[in-house]
Amino acid sequence: MRSQRGYGILSCLAALAVIAVLLVSVGVVTHHSAQAAGKTLSIIIDTEADRADEAEIIATYLRSIGVEAEVRIWEWSALKERLLAGERQLCLSDWGSAYFDPFDLVIPKLGTSDRGNYSGYSNTELDKLLSQVQMTADQSERKEAYFKAQKIIFEDAPWIFGYALKETEAARGEITNWQPAMDSRMNLHDVGLTRGDTIIVGMKADKIITLDPAMYRDRDTETVLRNMFDGLVTRTWDGKVVPEIAESWTIPSDDVYIFKIRKDVKFHNGKTLDADDVLFTFERILEDGAIAGQSSPRKGLLGPLEAVEKIDQYTVKFTLANPFPIFPQALVHFQIVPKDYIEKVGDTEFAAKPVGAGPFKFKEGRLDDQVVMERFDEYYGGSREIPPAGVAPAKRAIFRMMPEATVRVAALKAGEVHIIQQLPPDLAKTLAADKNIQVKSVDGTRVYCVELNCQKPPFDDVRVRRAMNYAVDWDAILTSIYGGNGVRLACAFLPSGFGFDPGLAPYPYDPGKAKALLREAGYSVK
Amino acid sequence: MTRTQVQVTERIIAAIPIMLGVVIFAFLFMRMIPGDPVDIMMGEAGGVTLEEMDFLRAQFDLDKPLLVQLTRYLGKLARGDMGYSIQRARPVKEVILEAVPATIELALFSLLLALVVGIPLGIASARYQNSVIDRFGMTASFLGISMPAFWLGIIGIIVFSLRLGWFPTSGRIAYGMEPATVTGLLTLDALITGDTQALRESLRHLALPAITLGAGVAAVVARVTRSSMLEALKTDYVLFAKAKGVPELIIVVRHALRNALIPTVTVVGLQMGTLLGGNMIVETIFGWPGLGRIVVDAIFSRDYPLVQAAVMVYALTFVVINLVTDILYTYLNPKMTL
Repeated sequence: MRSQRGYGILSCLAALAVIAVLLVSVGVVTHHSAQAAGKTLSIIIDTEADRADEAEIIATYLRSIGVEAEVRIWEWSALKERLLAGERQLCLSDWGSAYFDPFDLVIPKLGTSDRGNYSGYSNTELDKLLSQVQMTADQSERKEAYFKAQKIIFEDAPWIFGYALKETEAARGEITNWQPAMDSRMNLHDVGLTRGDTIIVGMKADKIITLDPAMYRDRDTETVLRNMFDGLVTRTWDGKVVPEIAESWTIPSDDVYIFKIRKDVKFHNGKTLDADDVLFTFERILEDGAIAGQSSPRKGLLGPLEAVEKIDQYTVKFTLANPFPIFPQALVHFQIVPKDYIEKVGDTEFAAKPVGAGPFKFKEGRLDDQVVMERFDEYYGGSREIPPAGVAPAKRAIFRMMPEATVRVAALKAGEVHIIQQLPPDLAKTLAADKNIQVKSVDGTRVYCVELNCQKPPFDDVRVRRAMNYAVDWDAILTSIYGGNGVRLACAFLPSGFGFDPGLAPYPYDPGKAKALLREAGYSVK
Repeated sequence: MTRTQVQVTERIIAAIPIMLGVVIFAFLFMRMIPGDPVDIMMGEAGGVTLEEMDFLRAQFDLDKPLLVQLTRYLGKLARGDMGYSIQRARPVKEVILEAVPATIELALFSLLLALVVGIPLGIASARYQNSVIDRFGMTASFLGISMPAFWLGIIGIIVFSLRLGWFPTSGRIAYGMEPATVTGLLTLDALITGDTQALRESLRHLALPAITLGAGVAAVVARVTRSSMLEALKTDYVLFAKAKGVPELIIVVRHALRNALIPTVTVVGLQMGTLLGGNMIVETIFGWPGLGRIVVDAIFSRDYPLVQAAVMVYALTFVVINLVTDILYTYLNPKMTL
């Protein structure tokens, strides 16, 4: 009896121990690493599962200079909460930029207390520069501010600065005039094919969110929508903003933009597009609860846009609360919708049967399966600056959701699809050898790095942070894991973005220097 | 009402508190997981203001105390409103109903395949215990259980789609081939409308996912059938039937199998419940637009209303399947009651 009770207590204790281990491992209880005086630097590297290999290599580099490093794998949203609460030490993270301006990268990632700032980094001088680049329209002044910002970030080293990967896509041989875009959007308007009349795209996405251009925040949805809807402006594959539905635009003062609209643009229902439609498009986004009782999640993307006014049937004036020089870049991501049609059928019906002014019109589709479009024969031709202008060469375009990369490649080889997104580096090599397949890469717009918790020891000490930057050989990581398919970054700026300083060289791999810095900061090294 | 009808009604009524409990648990558990659905929805972008996020949170009631959220949710549910998906910007009911036919179709075909392969294999293995057939059958079922779907599926694609070109790599049916919609189950719709081309195409698309998903189930069915058949074949009534000179086929099928099927029915019932929940891995590999992918994605994006509704659908599926299984028991063994 007694021994049984003993076993009962023992098993209770064992169960508690198991629970404690589980809680620690899911991060409910914070793990306090021992950092006794004298003292070995001991850290936990947090990562999501898909970059676990990379985290292990980083840990190995750190161990080689005498740092105790272990890797912990997390589910992202769970980790993010801990990061924002400042409870973690360092984590592998990444962030994309859509505006070809560091605006949507550096501000959310490194601005004091901004929503993507997982390192808790804060520098008043940098904050000042970042608000300056948002408020002024003078491009040379902005560029100078960005250059200064890069120096500060580089010196402060709030991250172990990482790399940007190339985006690789592939297409079958019969596809012509195809070029992957840096912002990973895909416009099939200009793409032709030498055999057949249907282009099928294997999307990397599991689903797209909606067919209503006011209700999404992700790039995959935009990729599909951009083929049915056009914007006032669009972007060339390498990031230049050019007019699309707009004829031209003027900037009479820093906070006013006046767009002239082309008169030959028709919606798929035959109605001519004019200023009323443009006005309606933006008012629908700005006004709370305007879309079947819901609000558009895209409002913030318009920055300080305050009012949209119609000047005449084909002229629209945008007034901003303060200068916002990347406004045209932002407008690339807004597609014009037909006022009359939506007012007639309602927002819900519009999302089910969208009507736009793009090169293809919606035929049928399911958001997590495939979306089928047919060529719009009365298309005005698209941007004059991205030739050839005119109706699309392909009669039909189909976007299929194919989240598994291996299957995308198999389907491309089997001829079931014509273009595939996001080709993993290991598969890119086998495909490049195939004569029927074309493989192309462009610079990506996503920064990969390791964010260090600047608020707490040990990374509140800039010497330790710099030591981390010297301790990791990124070139070796890029070669071994990513097949050499990336570029090192000196700091948090992308080469494709505005105001990038090419003169700033990345921290070199120098374990000797790393050790010296750590020793200086009071840590024992190997 | 007959006794059975009364019992069935009782069981259905008893399911209501179970469903309610499941809904409340799902509601609370989802909110215990760290993560903010609105933050996830906004993705990565500059210029997202706190006011904007707060506004969206309020739109989904996420700013209210938990108890208020729960009562509001239950109130809406009672009126048949399952809520609005945070991530997909549409009513949850629409999202789920859209995915159900694809899921049911794949589940039914996987199960059909599992039964057609598993039961005969189990019977043969038991009847010819320790023979070559038995060894082959049990090795095959061992493989069936052990092979993970992500591996089997991709190997299937490489061999049957790429090398042999028999089946397409993914999708439900090629564009332009769909039969007119009646039930949403493509094969059934093709049969109803007499569209043989659509039938052939949808079966070709179904083949690989159904094999991938059904392989494991077939293996379990074969094993369970074999062991219960072995037992049944050793019983006195089988011995008696043999002594009486009843033909072997009748002994095996009518006398032994009927009794041996009860454990198989149990296993099949449970597997059916799992299959109807959709299988995220198989659906992801084959680009199959079913429930599994939606639910996993909803969990990762903390789409509370969608997860709650899906859990409710799962609970309902299991309740119904358990009931059907129990009714089947009484048919197989009239001594049993509900």
